[in-house]
This record gives sequence, structure tokens and C-alpha cells, in this order.
Amino acid sequence: MSQHFLDQFLFVALPYVCLFTFLLVTVARYRMQSYSYSSLSSQFLENEHHFWAVVPFHYGILVVTAGHLIAFLIPRTILAWNSHPLRLYVLEVSALAFGLLTLVGLVGVIVRRFSNTKIRTVTTFTDWLLFAMLLLQTISGISVALFHPWGSAWFASNLSPYLWSIFKLGPDVTYVAAMPHMVKFHIVLAFLTIGFFPFTRLVHVLVIPNPFLWRKPQVVRWYRKR
Amino acid sequence: MSRSIMLRGTVVLAVVLTATMADAQDSPDYFRQNCMNCHTIGGGRLTGPDLKDLSKRRVGRDWMIDFLLNPKAVIDAGDSYAQEIFDASGGKVYMPVGPGMTKQRAEDLLDLIDAESKLEKSQFKGRQFSNKPFTTADRKRGRQIFEGTQQLKAGGASCISCHSMHDTPALGGGRLGPDLTEVVTRLKGRKSLSAWLVAPGTETMQPIFKGHPMSDDEIHSLVAYFEASAGKSPSEPSANRIALLLMGLVGAAGLVFVFDSLWKRRFHNVRRQLVDVSSPGDHP
Repeated sequence: MSQHFLDQFLFVALPYVCLFTFLLVTVARYRMQSYSYSSLSSQFLENEHHFWAVVPFHYGILVVTAGHLIAFLIPRTILAWNSHPLRLYVLEVSALAFGLLTLVGLVGVIVRRFSNTKIRTVTTFTDWLLFAMLLLQTISGISVALFHPWGSAWFASNLSPYLWSIFKLGPDVTYVAAMPHMVKFHIVLAFLTIGFFPFTRLVHVLVIPNPFLWRKPQVVRWYRKR
Repeated sequence: MSRSIMLRGTVVLAVVLTATMADAQDSPDYFRQNCMNCHTIGGGRLTGPDLKDLSKRRVGRDWMIDFLLNPKAVIDAGDSYAQEIFDASGGKVYMPVGPGMTKQRAEDLLDLIDAESKLEKSQFKGRQFSNKPFTTADRKRGRQIFEGTQQLKAGGASCISCHSMHDTPALGGGRLGPDLTEVVTRLKGRKSLSAWLVAPGTETMQPIFKGHPMSDDEIHSLVAYFEASAGKSPSEPSANRIALLLMGLVGAAGLVFVFDSLWKRRFHNVRRQLVDVSSPGDHP
């Protein structure tokens, strides 16, 4: 298979397959299995290490994902921010810190699920596969940050136009064709994760209980006398 | 059943999308965007040789096609003519394979070069650049453009995004592309480098600058900065990388510390208060 054909497959065909799978299966699952839209919290089963795994992981991945999304949506603003080296360094160090935080949390999540018998019992093969994908994605993202700086700048100038070309149905693979293998791996795995999304516990992202932010606090107690 | 249909649909979609990505760019546009940064037709040598009357060289058309399809393979195979060209270009930088290069594309390019060679003045003769001596102000402005403090007028990304220089501050420049401290030497001098910057020819830079070309004035300043840097020692990437990693680790550790401080009494305070309110006197 020539490099040209491989690039067309990985950066044109695969993204569309993953995005369409994401859209169709997400809607289908919500219509057919609404009650499966959950992350199935395991906090009741183990609450000692839960905090040190889940909190760093969630704050890390939310900030890093938001950063990617912002660079995709407003790349010129990111380039303008980066127009002074000091600001570029602040952005890159912060992004790396949140990436490392994600890694710490994710490793915590995996170790906790593996080492606790009760939680291991409620962990499915799909969960393990998802954890493996997220782990590889986090490690590759950190590697890209360290070995191919400055990602915030070249994401805005190269990858944002590529992603827009996908959404505008005029895919332009020239933006990614010459990227290093680690960057290509990170992009392909991102699309695979998007395609895998509706089959996993990740769907809880779409049903975040936002009323938690403003409703009155509730306490759950035993009704019977103890 | 429905899974089978979905799987088949997915495979068909993938094959159709892959097969229909035809490259519709015509030869003059292709030459302008991919070849003119190193070659002219009748305008003299740049990084690569002048291509006027290419068909009259001692190697044949088949050799040319093989070379266009994979220059590095032909040079590394020990071909004497390929080695001659490589040495004349400085013997350091291989000619890259043009994006989407096929046998048909190579044939079309050779036809274009033949046709342009017959003209008195080819459209690919190349631009003329100023020969005026560089000043301190030129070099200073070139460094500002490199580091991004002076943004490129057409909106191109600053060089520091992907490149480093011997004097790039603190954590250094980007590492997606090579260090540019010796770029004047690598690209064979001021004229070749200036021509190269008009339409940067690497696969990574080309899409960025295709719609955001640099002005002659900006190229002049950048070349002034690059020329002044020639002979200096390139920056050291591993030291910058370790510094970046340490700063990231400190930041991550700081965030963990903040979480712990914010939720130190996470097992007690919220629930205790709620229980107190809902049933006063129900606990010691």
C-alpha cells in the first residue's frame, strides 16, 4: 500500500467512518438503551483511592480536550496568543502539566480497577479496551508535547485547517501527510476513540447531570433504625 | 443482521472515500508550489539546478521519471549523475518526493519543463531579489519575525512554532522542523534561501504558506537574521526538553496539591452538615 493511499485511508476515510459511527450509534443507543447512558460509578464499592484516580484524571482530560477544541475553533487567536515566546511557553507548560495530571489519574484508575476484586468484577472487556486506548492516547500526546514542540502553534496552523476540511466535506490531507509518526498515531487514535465512544462508558459525557450545579444538596440516609 | 448491514456499509464508505480522492492540481500550479522553491527554468541555479533544456541532459526520460518518483533511492543506489547533482546542491539535503507524485505526474512535469524551455522567458524564471547589504535593523526585524513578536502580514505561523535557532530564548523553538541556525549554508546562500521562502517546499510548510505567503520585505529580514546566524552552534534540544518536562511535572504536582487542599475534608464536611440539619441531636 503506497504512503499516499495509506494517508487517504487513515486521514480521510477513517475519520468519516468514525464520525458517522459516533453520530449514528450515539443516537441509536440513546433511543434504544437510554438507561445505559452512565459511567456506572464504582465509588460505593471503593472510596479510598477513588478520589486520587478520578479527580486528577477528569480535571486533566477536560482541560486538555478543551484546549484541543479551542485551537480547532479559534486557531488565529491561539497564534496571536503565541506571538510572544513567554506566552507560548506558559501555554505549553500548562498543557503538559494537565497532560501529566491526566496520565497520573488514568494510571490510578487502571490500578484501582485492577487491584480491587469488587471493582474488577464490574469492569467489562470494553472498559479495559477503552482504558488501553486512553492510556496510549495520553502517552502519545505527552510524547508529542515533549518531542515535537510547539504543538499549540502547529496544531493551530496545520491540524485545525485539516479538521475543518473534514467537517466542510473537502478533506485536505496535505496538512497532515508529512507529520511525524507519533503525531499521526495520536490523530488516528483520536478518531478511533470517537468511533468507539458510543459503545463505551464514555457516553456519560453527554448526560452530565448539570442540575447538580444549582439544585439544593441532598443527603442519602438509611430509613430504618440502625 | 443489522450489525452486518452496518459493517458492510462502513466498509463500502471507506473504500469509496479512499478511491475517490483524486488529485486534480494541474502541472503549472504543481510546479509553482512544489518545484520553484529550489529550481528555475532559465533563471539560473538555486538550491537545485536550472531545469532549462532538461531533456538534453545525458540521462534519459526514464531516468528522470525514476528520480522524480524517489530521488533518495536513486542517489543512494550510487548513480553517478544523481550523485553529481546531490553534491552540487551541497550534499546534505535530499530532494523530497513531491506530494502525490505518480508516474503520470512525473511525465506531465517533464512535458511542462520541455515546453517552458522552448520559450524565451519562462513563467518559472524565478523572482529577482534585492542584493542590498543587510543592516542591523534587518537582522533585528528578522529575529522578531522568527519569534513571532512581529507577526507575518499574511497571517502565516511564526517560525518558532516549528523551528529553533541558536539564540531562541528559554525553552527554545519548536522541533517539528529542523534547527535553522545553519539554513543559509544548507540551502546554498542568500539567493536560494530567498527563493525557497517565497513558496516553502516541505510538505509541512507548503499548506501553511500556500494561502499566507511571506512578503519580499519579510523574506529580506528573515534571510538577514539567518545569514548572521551561520557558523553559530545550533541550540541543544535535550536540555530544553528536560526543562519542559520538569516544569510540567512541577505543574502537575502543584495541581494535585491544590486538589488535596480544596477537598481535604471531602469525606466529612458536606455530609456532616447535611445530617446535622436534617436530624439535630441524632448523633453525639
